[in-house]
Amino acid sequence: MKLLKSLTLGLCLSVSTLAAAETAIIVNPANASTISDNDISRAFLGKLKKFSDGQSIEAVNTKANNTTRIAFEKTILKKSPAQVKAYWSKRLFTGKGKPLKELASDAAVLSHVAATPNAIGYIDAASVDSSVKVLKRF
Amino acid sequence: MKKTLLALSLGMALPLTAVHAEISFNGFANIVAGKASSGDTQWGYDDDVDFKQGSLFALQASTDLTEGLSATVQIISRGVDDWETEFEWAYLAYDVNDQTRILLGRQRAPMYMFSDYLDVSYAYPWISPPQGVYDLELSTFDGISANYSFTLGEFDANAQAFFGSESNEIEVFGEAIESEFEQITGASFTFNRDWLTLRAAYLTTDLNLPAPGSSDLIAAWQTVPGFETLGDEATIMEEQSKFAELGVQVDYNNWLFIAEYTHIDYDQMPLDTEESMFATLGYRFDTVLVHATYGQDENDVNGNVNNLPYGVNPELDRLSTLTEQAFRFREQDSSYYTLGARWDFHDSAALKVEFSRRDNDLLNEDTNLIRTALVTVF
Repeated sequence: MKLLKSLTLGLCLSVSTLAAAETAIIVNPANASTISDNDISRAFLGKLKKFSDGQSIEAVNTKANNTTRIAFEKTILKKSPAQVKAYWSKRLFTGKGKPLKELASDAAVLSHVAATPNAIGYIDAASVDSSVKVLKRF
Repeated sequence: MKKTLLALSLGMALPLTAVHAEISFNGFANIVAGKASSGDTQWGYDDDVDFKQGSLFALQASTDLTEGLSATVQIISRGVDDWETEFEWAYLAYDVNDQTRILLGRQRAPMYMFSDYLDVSYAYPWISPPQGVYDLELSTFDGISANYSFTLGEFDANAQAFFGSESNEIEVFGEAIESEFEQITGASFTFNRDWLTLRAAYLTTDLNLPAPGSSDLIAAWQTVPGFETLGDEATIMEEQSKFAELGVQVDYNNWLFIAEYTHIDYDQMPLDTEESMFATLGYRFDTVLVHATYGQDENDVNGNVNNLPYGVNPELDRLSTLTEQAFRFREQDSSYYTLGARWDFHDSAALKVEFSRRDNDLLNEDTNLIRTALVTVF
């Protein structure tokens, strides 16, 4: 009984943290480009190739099933994980583009973006530090 | 053997680069089971459960040769061809810049909205794109195309121009005939913004389908005063056809709407025009998509079929009967609807089930087909 109660509590807690978790879209601090919400989506779908400063865009993903990724795809790309996967299979099997590079964790995305002038990524806002610039939080 | 061939063809595409070019492999597979209603046949299925007709396995290898050059080969084994392996795509791509890409080699003829990924069932809602519209024998060609991406206001736009030829086997009255599509010349345009995609395509091609007896038929009519050209009208010997397509896709929140219309004009051929359309409406419940499709196909026969001289003499009657068959071999007036569902039960696989009912107005015949499919990308 006690177990059930703590279990329910735990569940409620994790649900509320999930809902409260903010995602940050990050670029290298040297990147001075401005980018609209629509262009962020286009960058992560391989449609937008260059930042406003002329640098080519390298968008990076986190692993599939990552909660940050699911939230990102739902809010910014407006697609479910299956729709995103279907989208990239179209691009891949028609030679129009390859799926984005997938990095193992928030930490990996953070250090990659910090080290790569033309990279763009997204991580849990709580993981952000001064090594990157935040373009947008949601 | 097949592996060697693939490695060989890739190897041949690679002489420009160092030996270390990285090759990436990807693939997809569709396993489809289908069964038509008792005593009927529909879309290649009869009333025995069949796993072969719609099933296929594909493997793609591509490599980046740097400086904008890349090579891609896609091979497909289809159950319907007894799992014989075919090269579906085999091309060199050159990115002139971020906007312009040239493709050289074997590639898809971008006639339809789903042409480019016709076989990748994972990438669309149905088990296969609606049969009526997607029933032309031309899907792949050898040649050159140029692809130009640009933005038009808020739209991401894409224009493609292509030129080439293709030959393949078409079954006419149960016999495989080597058909030729020469001088395939066309262009397609796609506009996409957020949830809306609009598309149009146009192409012309010279068709050659030398069915057995074609030359005899032409020669026979040339000796009949007043009807000299009838044989020419009833056969397909190096004649031009014009193809036009319009498509729209709306993917708004959980709603999905897809519609496509095609119109083909034939010069001096058994068919005069071929008109097809379909519309699909779908709704997504989390990982399950349910959809309904309605489609119509009308192939009108060359008006000369009404000018056949019957009742003059028995010999001419026989010739007319034969010629009428030739005129009507692709005549069609039918409609169908399909109800289906797709369940994304796995990261890279989906399960689909569909029921289709087709009404053939020419034969006054209704048939039903039930299919289920497991589709995957890897």
